[in-house]
Amino acid sequence: MISFGKDIESSLVSLYKSKKIALEGNLLKVVKTQDKDFQDYLDEAKTKDQDTRRKRLEVTKQVQSQNKDLIDSQAEKEKLMLELKRALSESEKLREVALDDLETLQKKTQFELIGLIVKVALGAVGAVCIFTTVLYLYVLSKGLDSKIIESTWSNMFGIILTNCFSIIGTIMGVKHITDSKDSRK
Amino acid sequence: MIDSILLVDDEDLFHLVFEDSCSLLDITLSLQSLTSSDEADKLFKKWFQEGPLEEKPDCVFVDLNIIGSSFDGIELIRKINFEYGNGVVIGIISSSDDKQEIEKAKAVGAQFWIIKSDEIEPRLEAFRKDYDGYKNKTASFKVYK
Repeated sequence: MISFGKDIESSLVSLYKSKKIALEGNLLKVVKTQDKDFQDYLDEAKTKDQDTRRKRLEVTKQVQSQNKDLIDSQAEKEKLMLELKRALSESEKLREVALDDLETLQKKTQFELIGLIVKVALGAVGAVCIFTTVLYLYVLSKGLDSKIIESTWSNMFGIILTNCFSIIGTIMGVKHITDSKDSRK
Repeated sequence: MIDSILLVDDEDLFHLVFEDSCSLLDITLSLQSLTSSDEADKLFKKWFQEGPLEEKPDCVFVDLNIIGSSFDGIELIRKINFEYGNGVVIGIISSSDDKQEIEKAKAVGAQFWIIKSDEIEPRLEAFRKDYDGYKNKTASFKVYK
């Protein structure tokens, strides 16, 4: 415990009365006096100090709580961002799968169409071949004039063979281009 | 009233809360606050090796996880108790109430565990009442919830 002299005590009291400046903090808890005026001053200063501390404590607690909320919301935000990134990458993968599926479907449709065209063409060619051959055989078996049908038959076979190779070449070409595109992807 | 207290906690705002609470409750006149366990370790090393031992605080409150420090509060308590001599009342002040951590703290000689919350004053008030028991080593380990 400490005590001030009379002069200091009266100076402190008059300073408080004129400027409202008083001692603060734990110092107030160790000062002792016999003087009634200075004791009143100490009591008032202690009350003032406690009020200030109480207010500061309240504000500090508020700031502390706001900080905690801020940290929590930051953590929540980061968690959401991670989930968003994961969802985005998943949707990206799904998109790629869907695009692949679409491409496969398109190719399948194209191949089916090509297959149909080839079948129809081969059918028509085959039918003409068979018809001409049957007609030629009939003419030969009956001993009729076969000059026209003979040249027609040989010409037709030449044309058909040429066209067949042309069709096979076109199909091979298309297949080669498609394969090159796939490998470039 | 406790003569001197040392608080080791990385959160500056909590230093203010603790200081004001201690002042309003008349718990201590002298309070020193540190933000890292390394600083506290250096101080204890100095007091223990160079002295004077009277400079060391009577009571130490240590946070469990001290961000920016080389070791946590439990390790600091172990060092103070087993490397620098067990001469202070020491315990944890933390927002955690993890039972495993509490057991670890007990094992290294912590005498109390105060759970931090918005209402720290009633816990400090209860601690003050038990303080003499901790000082005389007669009080058993207690968790202030």
